[in-house]
Amino acid sequence: MTMFHFFNCAILTFGPHAVYYSATPLSEYDTLGTSVKAALVYLGTALVKLVCLATFLQVSENDGFDPYQEILKAFIGFIDVAGLYFALTQLTHRNISQNHKFQAVGLGWAFADSVLHRLAPLWVGARGLEFTWDYILQGLEANANLVLSISLAALVSLIWLRKNKPKTLIPIIYACAGIVATMPSITSYLRRELEWHFPKVIGFELFTSLVMAFVSWQLFSACQRPSA
Amino acid sequence: MATSKNSGGLRQLLESTYSVIALLFILVACVELCDAAAAVDVYRLIQYDMSGTPFGSRFAALNHHASSLRFPPGADLSRTVLIIPLRELNVTFVREYITQKKPLGGLLFLLPEVLSFKQGGNKQVHEKGKMKKLLMELEQLLVHSNIPYPVYFAFENDDIDTVLADIKKNDAMGQPATATTGGYKLVIPIAEPKKVASPTITNIQGWLSGLKADEDANQLPTIAIVASYDTFGAAPALSWEVTAMEVALWLFLKWQGFSIFSTQTLRQEEAEELDLKVVLKHKKINISDPRVAWEHEQFSRLRVTAATLSGCPVAPELFEGTGGLFDGRQYVNETAIVRGVKLVAESLARHIYGHQGKSAQIFADESSLSVNPAYIRSWLNLLSQTPRVAPYLSKNDPFVMALKKELAGHADEVNVQHENLEGIFTFYDSTSARLNIYQVASVTFDLLLLLVLGSYLIMLFCFLVITTRGVDDLIGLFRRPPSRRVKTA
Repeated sequence: MTMFHFFNCAILTFGPHAVYYSATPLSEYDTLGTSVKAALVYLGTALVKLVCLATFLQVSENDGFDPYQEILKAFIGFIDVAGLYFALTQLTHRNISQNHKFQAVGLGWAFADSVLHRLAPLWVGARGLEFTWDYILQGLEANANLVLSISLAALVSLIWLRKNKPKTLIPIIYACAGIVATMPSITSYLRRELEWHFPKVIGFELFTSLVMAFVSWQLFSACQRPSA
Repeated sequence: MATSKNSGGLRQLLESTYSVIALLFILVACVELCDAAAAVDVYRLIQYDMSGTPFGSRFAALNHHASSLRFPPGADLSRTVLIIPLRELNVTFVREYITQKKPLGGLLFLLPEVLSFKQGGNKQVHEKGKMKKLLMELEQLLVHSNIPYPVYFAFENDDIDTVLADIKKNDAMGQPATATTGGYKLVIPIAEPKKVASPTITNIQGWLSGLKADEDANQLPTIAIVASYDTFGAAPALSWEVTAMEVALWLFLKWQGFSIFSTQTLRQEEAEELDLKVVLKHKKINISDPRVAWEHEQFSRLRVTAATLSGCPVAPELFEGTGGLFDGRQYVNETAIVRGVKLVAESLARHIYGHQGKSAQIFADESSLSVNPAYIRSWLNLLSQTPRVAPYLSKNDPFVMALKKELAGHADEVNVQHENLEGIFTFYDSTSARLNIYQVASVTFDLLLLLVLGSYLIMLFCFLVITTRGVDDLIGLFRRPPSRRVKTA
């Protein structure tokens, strides 16, 4: 029964990635290579972030919210953006339209994130006898993360790959990219300072991910129209 | 055209979303948010063979669901552990289960915290008497029965109290815990119990020689003071019963430079001076009976005059007078022990030094020879915290070594004798373990979850196909095979 529970949590955490790949035209254009390369870039970025965190951050004894530390963590979070930029622009991709490129990169990015942060706790914990809701909530978080990664990839590709953007939308694009990039800091602030419970934080993440996805979809389609 | 089709698809999508949300609410209502697992120290019922007949609990490992006494009647308990706190214990119920050999997965008795290692305090003193009687009855029942499932004792604490309250609530709803309905699972991962290899009994002997006048050609008579330091109880790891009186007396007398070995009977006058009532009882000894009622009868058989100091008017049955779970530190009256020690010391001193009939007290209070309550108290504390069932004490057990060292400090000569306990009795190990309590979800919960996740993924798939490729593609996915047939025809 506990392997059954592990299987359930695993399909909740990793299933949507597979579904996304097969449902959208990504599978038709065989963009798996792009996703794999994006996943590798994510691993490299995670390593760089780890080194920066170890170098610049001090370990605090109490579990409170230290604004200075959190701002530092947010800055280190922008390395994510740099990594995405690298994956989108510097790597050689096959002839894929920009529309599909950001989706493939976002998908690979999110899949690597889920595997790195959620596979080990799932394997170790969900197979035990004791039942907790944690792993199901973690799976929901992985879903929210998928949506957020794809939105971030869309916004980054808008910033750097599309040259002719309507002038009025540029600050909005940057603002949205900033919000999505600092989501980890926002959730840690909610959890520690406001002391929200895990389910509430997950609900907030899901809600914001859907909102940001909608906003970036609108921005993307707005930029696709020829500028007036 | 396309937009109306899209809006129709969207409406269907919204409706299915509502049904999934409703299903999720039902799911949440079935299984409450749970706490982490609890881990408790538990102590096993003794397992022994007497002349080949098995007694006690014959199994140690446990892996079953838990249930309280409020289980629905007629429920199958062969894979369930009954958790019974001492307050709710009904000994007839347990006796019925054991004598009628009804199938049961295991028993877990919860002892009130007052009986544990820590000093229980003075709360609920009036309850203690009733619980003591109940525990005595239970212990006698368990120790003399052959029980084919594990029986454990544990002390109540907050964790286990909340678990038990939860179990009672579930049982009241008529849902006994099984694999399909969830609940709590008790797991004790322990190896099968093995025989204790050659259990030994250790006797410690100390000699203190008296002053011999040169012209006295005779040997000085010997006075032997014998005390037993071991116990026997239902849970060997919890048997720290206080035969402390005897041991404390023995040690005190050594300390005062006593114990020349002789035979002696007790004097009543000394007892009256100390306000204690001593009754001398004579009893005929049955020489052919291998079991002796009182400890001194062994000596009497060898034609050595002997007596036993005891609080019981009648000789106890087998394993009855040896104390058990209920004999705790709180039940010991320190002042009574001090008085008893003083009584024996005074009477011995007067006999040895020839002061019979005189009223002066040798061990008067406030003198340098008075009984030291702090000394008695520290030994009582040690004794009440050390489980001392003889077969489970190894040859070099620290407690035995401590006794030997203390005796050596005050006597001239100390001998230690080891004797094997093979023959009539065989004891088995695995006396204490760690119990893990897990809150488990039922299989139906996981099946429901699988259903929900499956529908969620299918919905996600359809949503993505519709938004990125259009509804036609989605329908096309299901219609491809027939269209091929149409082409060939």
